[in-house]
Amino acid sequence: MANLLKEIEAQIAGAKTTAAKQNVGVIREVGDGIAKIEGLTDAMLNEMIDLGHGVTGLALNLDETEVGVVILGDYTQLKEGDEARTTGRLLQVPVGKGLLGRVVNILGEPVDGKGPIKSDKTYPVEKTAPGIIRRRSVSQPVQTGIMPIDAMIPIGRGQRELIIGDRATGKTTICIDTIISQARLNKAAEVAGDKDYRPLYCIYVAIGQKQSTIARVIAVLEEAGAMPYTIIVASPASDSAANQYLVPFAGAAMGEWFMDNGMDALIVYDDLTKQAVAYRQVSLLLKRPSGREAFPGDVFYLHSRLLERAARVGEKYGNGSLTAMPIIETQSGDVSAYIPTNVISITDGQIFLETDLFYQGVRPAINVGISVSRVGSAAQVKAMKQVAGKLKGELAQFRELAAFAQFGSDLDAKTQAQIDHGKRIMEIFKQAQYNPIPVEIQVAVLWTVQNGYLDQVPVARVKEFQNKLTEYFATRKGQLLAKIGREKALSDELKDELKAAAEEFKQTWQ
Amino acid sequence: MKITKRAKREAKHLYCLCLVKGLLDESRVRQVVQHLIASSKRNSPSILAHFLRLAKLDYAQHTAAIESAIPLLANLRTVVQTGLEHRYGPGLTITFAHSPELIGGMRIQVGCDVYDGSVRARLDALEKSI
Repeated sequence: MANLLKEIEAQIAGAKTTAAKQNVGVIREVGDGIAKIEGLTDAMLNEMIDLGHGVTGLALNLDETEVGVVILGDYTQLKEGDEARTTGRLLQVPVGKGLLGRVVNILGEPVDGKGPIKSDKTYPVEKTAPGIIRRRSVSQPVQTGIMPIDAMIPIGRGQRELIIGDRATGKTTICIDTIISQARLNKAAEVAGDKDYRPLYCIYVAIGQKQSTIARVIAVLEEAGAMPYTIIVASPASDSAANQYLVPFAGAAMGEWFMDNGMDALIVYDDLTKQAVAYRQVSLLLKRPSGREAFPGDVFYLHSRLLERAARVGEKYGNGSLTAMPIIETQSGDVSAYIPTNVISITDGQIFLETDLFYQGVRPAINVGISVSRVGSAAQVKAMKQVAGKLKGELAQFRELAAFAQFGSDLDAKTQAQIDHGKRIMEIFKQAQYNPIPVEIQVAVLWTVQNGYLDQVPVARVKEFQNKLTEYFATRKGQLLAKIGREKALSDELKDELKAAAEEFKQTWQ
Repeated sequence: MKITKRAKREAKHLYCLCLVKGLLDESRVRQVVQHLIASSKRNSPSILAHFLRLAKLDYAQHTAAIESAIPLLANLRTVVQTGLEHRYGPGLTITFAHSPELIGGMRIQVGCDVYDGSVRARLDALEKSI
């Protein structure tokens, strides 16, 4: 009781005694999560507006006589004639390591029932992206643990790599695998006491998804032990359009804190198509002029200002990074639609997933031919470059020859060998979900493939061979793998060791 | 009533024509309203509606509503009036009202600006902070 009295006394002492100026307005119209407020002459763009009843809004349209506000909360309590006032604050979310392992909403409030979040710092949701001077080029890899990506479409820390494909082609799975891979690497480095390793923290932003889908993602991450390194920011399908449009920005703010404090973070936006649809809804309700496909004119700016916030900053500025993996869902593989072309042009590359490949059993269903990484190769591990340098070309050649061979003409031995080699590579790249492969094993397996140790293995048994080989390397050649991981390049000595190991394994393989 | 952008633009133009030294001239406003009522233009009702809205906002901007817990003495009224005119310029319509629910102090509203020095406002702020 004494404490309470002291607290109240302190509050009374701290209470302002002067009459501060406030800017007020009157709600003229409310509905569909939007309010039109007359007055509020001092309102700023993106300023939080106190609408009373504990409801907050965000000023998005500043007109001559009224302000268009999106309501972030239950708007059913508001009515025409209610008073609204400016707060002088921009929309902010809590940031920091206290959010790791938690599931939060757009305002950074916990929705996982694990109690309040320990965070004393906030970041504005809308923030200007780092400028040219602060940035540096991408040079450190993000090990996704997905072999075709790490080998042929490498991603670097600070890069923006788009994941694009139709519904149910494994877009989210790629991102979840990447998050699991980071958690394993972080944990391994922690256990080994490796101080040089820079942990990569992950943020998964769920936009307009079913609650059950989000719950499944959380369950997968928890099962894989990835949650302690991950923040989940959720705005499910039942949330208002305003929340769905703003949630990626909230996630980006949380990621920026890691970048600004010299750490590395990865953010997954799942997915930006739904965000664009939510933004269209908000814009139409605010009566903004619509353009192509009824999207507002600034839908490109919506995505560009979000994705520009992903960057690698220079050592002078903390040497942190924020890697972005936006997801875009296409309709019937149409990458030339409005939103996909916009995001393709903003990002530093794209991983294209195809339904046909998915149903042919090629999973992850990555179309290597049209997937690119524009800056990631600079960040690729040298050992991987040595073994995977020719892979993309070989696969392109294989696809061309395979298409030609479909006509049923007789093939010469060399062409047949090339086709067989391609088929084996395709088999090697098939990978189970939620099972990222460490880069050392990827290097060892690819070295084995590239040096002809699989040429005698029937295509149907390639996967079996790969699994046994992986097991062999992991259980009996741990030191060799550790050496590859340490040196990050294949020296002649390492190549000899790999050769000896492959020979030894081949003798046991039946 | 749907007010088109064109109607808004025209109403704004008429509103600007009614300003004399930054203040709305009553006779001009009357003239404009009469002209619009008499006009056979199809969009004149919507122009009139927006013009009325602009005039109302202008009136609100130039009206100071002063509420106090107890009726203010004449000398205090003069002090407040002088202070407001000094801040907002001449042409301010000032109304005084007696509101016991404020408990103590004064609340002044000029257009969208509110200066709330009442005990009620401080108690509300205290309640919020606790």
